[in-house]
Amino acid sequence: MSLLQLEGVTKRFGGLLAIDNVSLEIDSGEAISIVGPNGSGKTTLFNLISGVYAPDQGKVVFDGLEITHLPPYRRAHLGIGRTFQIPRPFGSLTVRENVAVGAMFGAHEHSMGVDAALKSADERLRLMGFYELRERPARELTPVEMKMMEIARALAMKPKLLLLDESMAGMPPKDIDALVQLLKGIKQKEGIAVIAMVEHIMRAVVGFAERVIVLYQGRKMLEAPTAQALSDPRVVDVYLGKELEQ
Amino acid sequence: MYGLLFLFGHYTEGMWQAAALCAFYAALGQAFNVFLGMTGYVDFGYVAFMALGAYGMALTVANLYDVAWLGSGMILIGLIAAMVFSGLLSMVVGAIALRLRGAYFAIATIGVNEGFRFLLEGIKLWGGSEGIIISSKLRDAFGSDGASRLSTFWADTFVFLTAALAALITLLYMQSRIGYALTALREDEDAAKVMGVNTTKYKIIAFITSASLGGLIGASAWTLKLTYVFPADAFAIHYTVEAIVIVILGGAGTLMGPVAGGILYAALKYGLGVTFPGLQLLILAPIIIVIIVVMPEGLIGVLKAKVRGTVLQKFIV
Repeated sequence: MSLLQLEGVTKRFGGLLAIDNVSLEIDSGEAISIVGPNGSGKTTLFNLISGVYAPDQGKVVFDGLEITHLPPYRRAHLGIGRTFQIPRPFGSLTVRENVAVGAMFGAHEHSMGVDAALKSADERLRLMGFYELRERPARELTPVEMKMMEIARALAMKPKLLLLDESMAGMPPKDIDALVQLLKGIKQKEGIAVIAMVEHIMRAVVGFAERVIVLYQGRKMLEAPTAQALSDPRVVDVYLGKELEQ
Repeated sequence: MYGLLFLFGHYTEGMWQAAALCAFYAALGQAFNVFLGMTGYVDFGYVAFMALGAYGMALTVANLYDVAWLGSGMILIGLIAAMVFSGLLSMVVGAIALRLRGAYFAIATIGVNEGFRFLLEGIKLWGGSEGIIISSKLRDAFGSDGASRLSTFWADTFVFLTAALAALITLLYMQSRIGYALTALREDEDAAKVMGVNTTKYKIIAFITSASLGGLIGASAWTLKLTYVFPADAFAIHYTVEAIVIVILGGAGTLMGPVAGGILYAALKYGLGVTFPGLQLLILAPIIIVIIVVMPEGLIGVLKAKVRGTVLQKFIV
């Protein structure tokens, strides 16, 4: 049985069809990249999975349970963690406290008291090479540091499914490689499925994803193993435009 | 800190009223801060909870004053009734209004306050616009010495105790999951939800706590001290505004902010009232504006930023 299942999910905003009849399945422990140009509906898709919106049509099933209309916090308890494209830290809290909030309120069987959560936040930060920043108020971090903190915060929730929304955008290539290695390690050790959404950092897609889903104008255009997807002429069209006809 | 203020007022000739005024404003700020400071939601109808607390106490005294064996237990029942009254109202208001955000929430709560007042007056519930007067009933129950001791000493003492209780609860909340949940939702409500925080539940917890404490203040600082409740006084919106000013002056969301803000506000208001009678509000307003412009984080907020990373950090919260 797959971990996450979307069946014919559709979301409209007024006259705009943001997600048009998308179905997909993700298994436990998979690494998926969702790619697609600006406005193709990637963030909307994430919002539908994490519960920020409910779909107009279709069904979302997670871990054998229909969650189509569950509020976000209940989905978090079931094991869905995410980051945001534009980081949304709890600014007045320190990095350590931000991560502790994830541990405190995340997936239910792992949720814990304040002391245990702070301790687990320390471990998580050490693991991510972030420990020396732990007493810094989150609002003073650089954007890239905020993105790293958001990943730590989401991981502290002990999710079964981690949604990364453009977490690598704006990072230098060296950091992307390091993050990809880190995510691979965590994925293997903790058996988390990771869906990373990427606009155009092919370095991250190639290094990380086992499978690629291409969204284009709200529809699933293609779903294939990474190498095959990236050489597909339609994907090249979407990204580079059609070749000029002679 | 409240103990010190209490002792200062108690043992310094002529200072009891001044200390009691400080305590009233500090208690008001401290109770209000549990909700405003920790969630960032502004409740413009807060005084309705104080009013309901005042009515809870007044109705208890009015109905139970001739039950001899209760003795001072009646006051205890009155305080509990005050918390129950305001707690129940806040549960109803919270369940509906806390689904709104920002300015919409503020407007809805003003409506609750005004609506409740006109409801009482309109259907002549609890004495209607004539209110409830309990002075003779208190004399019947406690004798004239007992009754005057109750309104000149015990009423203020209960306000001190309420302020201390509110501070204690704030401290407990800050150090628990509740505090983390509230801070997270204050900073970013949608992100908090996605992190698994049941934001509505925690907002309602803070709302009911803050309202019940407000009820205690209303019961002691109004009903017991003044020995009457009139709807026009009890639902006066300017107390809500004063509560907001105190919390912002001292530093929203801090433990010591409301004490600092309450004392500063009371001292300014009282001091200016003595030195420039009649003009006090004209002078008070610009002073408050200047303080808020210079220190948007409040007195304690600024102090907190100053001591960060030093040994004092632990003591300024």
